[in-house]
Amino acid sequence: MKKSKLLLGDEALALAACDAGVKAFYGYPGTPSTEIFEAGEKYIEKTNDGRVAEWAANEKVAYEFALGTSYAGFRTVVTMKHVGLNVAFDAFVNSAITGVQGGLVVAVADDPSMHSSQNEQDTRVLADFAHIPLLEPATPQEVYDFTIQAFELSERLKLPVVLRLVTRLAHSRGEVYTAEKRLAPTSVGIPSEEEKNNWVLIPAIARGRYRDLRDKLPNIIDAAAKYNSFSANGRLKEGVLMAGMGIAYFEQYLSDNDIDPKKYNQLKIGAYPVDVQLLKDFVEKCDTIYVFEEDYPYLEDMIIPYAEGKCKVHGRRDGILAIDGELNLSTVRTVLAGKKVEGKVDDDLLAQISDLIEIRPPKLCDGCGHSDAYEAITKALKNIGVDDPRIFGDIGCYTLGVQPPFNAINTCVEMGASLSMAFGAAMAGMSPAVGVIGDSTFFHSGMPTLLSAAKSNLNLNLIIMDNAIVGMTGQQVPVAADIAPTLAKATGFEEDQVHVFIPLPKKTNENIEKLEKIFKEDKPSLIVFKRKCIQAMRRKLYTKPEKAEV
Amino acid sequence: MKNDNTFGLVVAGVGGQGAVTIAQLVLGAAWMSGLHVLQSEVHGMSQRGGEVSAHIMISKKKVTSPTIEKGTGDLLIGLEPLEALRHLVYLKKGAPVVSTTTAIVNMDSYPEVDRVNKLLSGIDGVKMIDSESLSKEMRFPQAGTIALLGAAATYLPITDKIWEKVIQERFASKGEKVIEKNMRAFMTGKELILQ
Repeated sequence: MKKSKLLLGDEALALAACDAGVKAFYGYPGTPSTEIFEAGEKYIEKTNDGRVAEWAANEKVAYEFALGTSYAGFRTVVTMKHVGLNVAFDAFVNSAITGVQGGLVVAVADDPSMHSSQNEQDTRVLADFAHIPLLEPATPQEVYDFTIQAFELSERLKLPVVLRLVTRLAHSRGEVYTAEKRLAPTSVGIPSEEEKNNWVLIPAIARGRYRDLRDKLPNIIDAAAKYNSFSANGRLKEGVLMAGMGIAYFEQYLSDNDIDPKKYNQLKIGAYPVDVQLLKDFVEKCDTIYVFEEDYPYLEDMIIPYAEGKCKVHGRRDGILAIDGELNLSTVRTVLAGKKVEGKVDDDLLAQISDLIEIRPPKLCDGCGHSDAYEAITKALKNIGVDDPRIFGDIGCYTLGVQPPFNAINTCVEMGASLSMAFGAAMAGMSPAVGVIGDSTFFHSGMPTLLSAAKSNLNLNLIIMDNAIVGMTGQQVPVAADIAPTLAKATGFEEDQVHVFIPLPKKTNENIEKLEKIFKEDKPSLIVFKRKCIQAMRRKLYTKPEKAEV
Repeated sequence: MKNDNTFGLVVAGVGGQGAVTIAQLVLGAAWMSGLHVLQSEVHGMSQRGGEVSAHIMISKKKVTSPTIEKGTGDLLIGLEPLEALRHLVYLKKGAPVVSTTTAIVNMDSYPEVDRVNKLLSGIDGVKMIDSESLSKEMRFPQAGTIALLGAAATYLPITDKIWEKVIQERFASKGEKVIEKNMRAFMTGKELILQ
């Protein structure tokens, strides 16, 4: 008898990986993917059966950890959010050419509607670009099942396999039936004598490997085929092409409204790349096709050329669905039934509610050290005559400094960008140039800028907001602590160019004075604002010995 | 449940209030009752005072959508009155609302609390509970929130026996006293509605 549990999509993935004999979880935290690693880590701590979980400095490093573990013959998961895959992209693309040894599952969580992200890019496009197969589950149960199958597929095709989750699946909790047995991690061995050169991507070898990968494409499409189902008994020649949450919402729509599934021709996509013959066949059965998929009009763009002159395709391209934002039941119903539901809130009540409702934005926690740091930075800049201070910011809790009363950062592009953008602005003559970054983000990708900064003669002020925690994603321990000043000195910063401040209200005036002096000097400086995160203090996350002491 | 259709519950609040905990208690209770469930939670910014909400779908049939369609939800638990108003659009006509009167004013633009409560309490099917006073009365900070769950429970197809089991499991690590306090708060909320 199979056992069932209530699991988040993210948790189902982690548990399935353990059941499939995974050796190691690697990743960099990012909403909504973080719980994959955390659930994996929890199972490992509980069972203590020779598996490992290790946060990496960034997604590229995490990916390479996983690739190395795969080389050693073991199954492994690397987790990240969609924008994290950009950071890991070099390793990702080339891992298709090296191939894998132990099964490698790349768990990527996309965030349509940008609940906590900078963009809503679509991981299917990146997997397609790399010729790496991608599975797209629609329910927590499918997350579990697909994960186990992804390891088998990865080893069979000798390729990494992506599991694409979206926010609504990653953070959905539902019933999941799990396997009776959990496999122990075992190695399939390191690459053999005849395969070992596959991993050396010098041009002479890479050319052959790349050709092999292209030749493998029909096999990859074949392997994906069993996840893609076709039913063509629609009485009205209306078709629905769907994937992932698109399937979930469509099925709920049928069920809630007691609609016979046979009303529609259905093409459900659970894996990519998709055999174009399937799309051609589908077009033949329909005179109208609705497309429900998350993020980009990816399947829609694939089917449109085959539909031309034969049937109409409705989706994001013709505007029946918005070009951005996530799907939901309302959008599916509005498209298929042509109307919205009239609920409890009529127009009159809506007007009264709208009159009162304000956005409740997240903000810096009361008593957070970042507030004191921002106050000092902005005041010091104004005191030295910078009327309209422009500060390069980065991604993390401290991004909330963009809001009033601080209005303290003016950019947030991607992790690590603040320091390098400040450098670029300083090169172009901005003085003083100020970039603000968190400690974890500094280790993620801010660190290399130190090397360029040290050798410059610019009035470039690199500020690290160090709270010894990855604040935004639920407070993980950064890969390192307390080493930024030492690193700066090792790269060529002099003693008087490295400063450590404590951002406490009682120190604000003193910090302002010191900053004024630093900002006026025509040389690079590293400034560390060092104070523990009050949320992490409350949760007693600093008590473990390996964590940083302030 | 009256028919086989899906029952949709929204829990709305502000980060740190326990919206996700309340949602998980309902989810667990419905699941233990042998029903199909699916829950969606929006967090990530939850500790920074932003809005937090959870949707719970409960059904005798398989559920695949983790979120409720606007205008179709069957019940709303408001852990904060302005958040209750914000999420009202998810409910169908006639659906009940159980909300606190205790506002969390953590933004400059928060409207007058009285205006919010007046509008909310005047809406058909809305039951208001002063959770702050209740917590003080019961000398248990979480009492108000659990009482709201107890009040909401009167609309859910879940027996007291199951609720007791779920609350016991959830707070088992915190000891008998905490379980007992939670159970008392839960029943107090329930009685407030049944009166």
